[in-house]
Amino acid sequence: MIKLINLTKKFASLTAVDNLNLKIAVGETFGFLGPNGAGKTTTIKMMVGLLNPTLGTVIIDGKDIAQEPLEVKKIIGYIPDRSFLYEKLTAREFLQFVAGIYGFTKKQCSGKIQRLLRLFNLEEWEDELIESFSQGMRQRLVLSSALIHNPKVIIVDEPVVGLDPKGSRLVKTVFKNLTHAGITIFLSTHVLGIAEELCDRIAIIQEGKVIALGTMDELKNKDDEGLESLFLRLTGGEEVSESTAALNLRVP
Amino acid sequence: MNLFALLHVRLLSLKHRLKSFHGKEVIKPLIFFLIGLVFWTGTFIIFYRVLGYFQGIESLGDFLAAKLLSMVFLVFFSFLIFSNIITSLSTFYLSQDLQLIFSLPLSLSEIFFARLADTILKSSWMVLVFGLPVFLAYGTIYHVSFFFYGLCLVVFIPFLMIASSVGIIITITLIHFFPAKRTKDVLFFLSIIFLVFLFLFFRFLKPENLVDPERFASILDYFAAMRSFSSPALPSFWATECLLPSLQSSYKGSSFFYFLMLWSTSLGVLVTGNWVAARLYFQGWSKSQESRRLRLSQSGFFNRAIDVLVWPFSTSTRAMIEKDLKVFFRDTTQWSQLLLLLSLAIVYLYNFKVLPFDKSPIPSFYLQNLFSFLNLGLAGFVLAAIAVRFVFPAVSLEGEAFWIMRTSPLSLKKFLINKFWMSLIPLLALAEILTILTNCFLKVTSFMMVLSSLTIFFMTFGITSLGVGMGAIYPRFKHTSTAEIPTGFGGLLYMMYAMGLIGLTVVLEARPVYLLFTSYIQHTNLPLWFYGELSLAIFLIVVINSAALVFPMRYGLKNLSSLEDWG
Repeated sequence: MIKLINLTKKFASLTAVDNLNLKIAVGETFGFLGPNGAGKTTTIKMMVGLLNPTLGTVIIDGKDIAQEPLEVKKIIGYIPDRSFLYEKLTAREFLQFVAGIYGFTKKQCSGKIQRLLRLFNLEEWEDELIESFSQGMRQRLVLSSALIHNPKVIIVDEPVVGLDPKGSRLVKTVFKNLTHAGITIFLSTHVLGIAEELCDRIAIIQEGKVIALGTMDELKNKDDEGLESLFLRLTGGEEVSESTAALNLRVP
Repeated sequence: MNLFALLHVRLLSLKHRLKSFHGKEVIKPLIFFLIGLVFWTGTFIIFYRVLGYFQGIESLGDFLAAKLLSMVFLVFFSFLIFSNIITSLSTFYLSQDLQLIFSLPLSLSEIFFARLADTILKSSWMVLVFGLPVFLAYGTIYHVSFFFYGLCLVVFIPFLMIASSVGIIITITLIHFFPAKRTKDVLFFLSIIFLVFLFLFFRFLKPENLVDPERFASILDYFAAMRSFSSPALPSFWATECLLPSLQSSYKGSSFFYFLMLWSTSLGVLVTGNWVAARLYFQGWSKSQESRRLRLSQSGFFNRAIDVLVWPFSTSTRAMIEKDLKVFFRDTTQWSQLLLLLSLAIVYLYNFKVLPFDKSPIPSFYLQNLFSFLNLGLAGFVLAAIAVRFVFPAVSLEGEAFWIMRTSPLSLKKFLINKFWMSLIPLLALAEILTILTNCFLKVTSFMMVLSSLTIFFMTFGITSLGVGMGAIYPRFKHTSTAEIPTGFGGLLYMMYAMGLIGLTVVLEARPVYLLFTSYIQHTNLPLWFYGELSLAIFLIVVINSAALVFPMRYGLKNLSSLEDWG
């Protein structure tokens, strides 16, 4: 369903994404992990058409996003890490607007909007301006908007940022149901628990390069270690414990 | 010490900002500086000539100059208070670094005085810079010594401090009762009303009468009426009284008394401000962090009206128009600017209604048609001024939510074309109303009526496309207020290009129209080459306006497509 071929992005002298090659099958939930600044968001932005790659190709559902951007965008649902929205619209109006952009009339989408608002616990606030929403409510609204047009692929950058445990559980359940329905999910996250719980396969990226790729079992079996230990070992996070020890922080 | 540390951080930020200008980036501030210089010089020349004119009026000249100075101070004082209220909302309540400042071991007084200094600098520099040519003009006309300029400085310091402290006290008190974000909207709206009032007030005072000696009696009445504005209780009056004796040797007044009044009041309001802040500031700031829950009134009529308005369009265009209209009418900083536009249009039409053709030695037929022709240029200017406020920001208004458009299956080309049509229709209606009504007031010939209506029709296409296109070439997605979008480099460049387009169109039409009217007045036949020249002018007008229609949108599209960082 998704193919990243030799994908590269350079910002002046910095190579943010370096010759990335990935294949993700239909109905697969793929986890994209990496420390801050590893190139996760840059990769996602290239996949949804927000950034032009320096080199390489992104193919989604057999279509090259550089050649047929609008066709690809029709089947993608994108959830960014920072939810900037139209502050002066209400939640319902925002969903109507997004549905309209995807070609659905108000009549066609009213039932779906109602279901999504109910699913993401936004029904009570549907007629309030987004400017008064908390971070979690915004995130749930963005999730609703990403599902409004029945996408085949969901690309999500930090799915539970700003969500409380209840919201986080809800998102995980929704994603599991979507995968059962054959929808492909590409998710980037810092929350390793989510990756462990949801993803069929995981890639760990550092300095723009994939340094580990496989199913949870394949990755764990190498040294019989947990995902967190593996992640820290591969990305150099183990130094943190040494550094904090060196600080010799004492509670008075 | 802490106070100096807080101020030092501000100075460091300013230093780094200035340091960051290099290479091509110097061009923008340089252009702003040059425009400022032109405006500055213009202010000096106007005041110099007006004061020079006053000097020529025996026995009344000094009186008029004194009254003018009093009015200048009064306008400065009103402007400063408004400016300080708006600025202090940001510096005292909405600024993001306040989270850090309040978590530091600083007293409220230290925070208050640091923010006060910040507010004074941000809100008053413009008055200081553009006030300088006014005082230079006074100094030059009255041949004063350097003492006058030194005095200006020591008078201005307490004057600014009073205006700032009063503005801040008003803000702190208002925030105690209303949430900060709502107050900002209300104040923006009030400042627009204030501007509209000032604009209409000065226009309907008919300043053109100053050059009509027959009406001088009424001018005296006018200045007598203005006397009631200069209340002795106002700091603007004290500042005027401080300066006048050093300007006019014949002026009898207790300058030192008013000087003491200024300084003692400025220190008094500083202490009062600190006292008010100690009681209300922190509670107000804390309240401004809480999100307000606002249930939006659902206007069925409004929604139905929008539905009717958008039904001929495709679903995606409908969604865009509906979104833009709702956002426009819910954002006070956007729709309240319509009031400015309305006052501009009223004054524009009024000016044409009161033109005294009967007093002119030139045949009124010729003059009326000439004015109709000049009206084209003026109407174009009015349209450009409106477009820079409403059309140029159309793309930037998407803000950091622009990712929604970029990841949607709506092409950027369609996005821009939608923005173009949404802007064109109201602008076109206004352009034709202005042109046809002014032509009716002028009682022009049918030929001029048709010619100017057609020209403005085509010019509006160019003006709109230029606005949308330039807005896409110079977008400001990270704005905090809609009003700041047109004030940047792109807005400035847009005005320059729009004026160029209007100027070229009018100039190209000028000669054929002139020849036509001359032949009509002199009852002579037009030579054959005239028709060749007319055709060439029409051809060039079509080419220029078509270029204005096509190229800005094309470059705007190209820029938006390659844009990688907006949020």
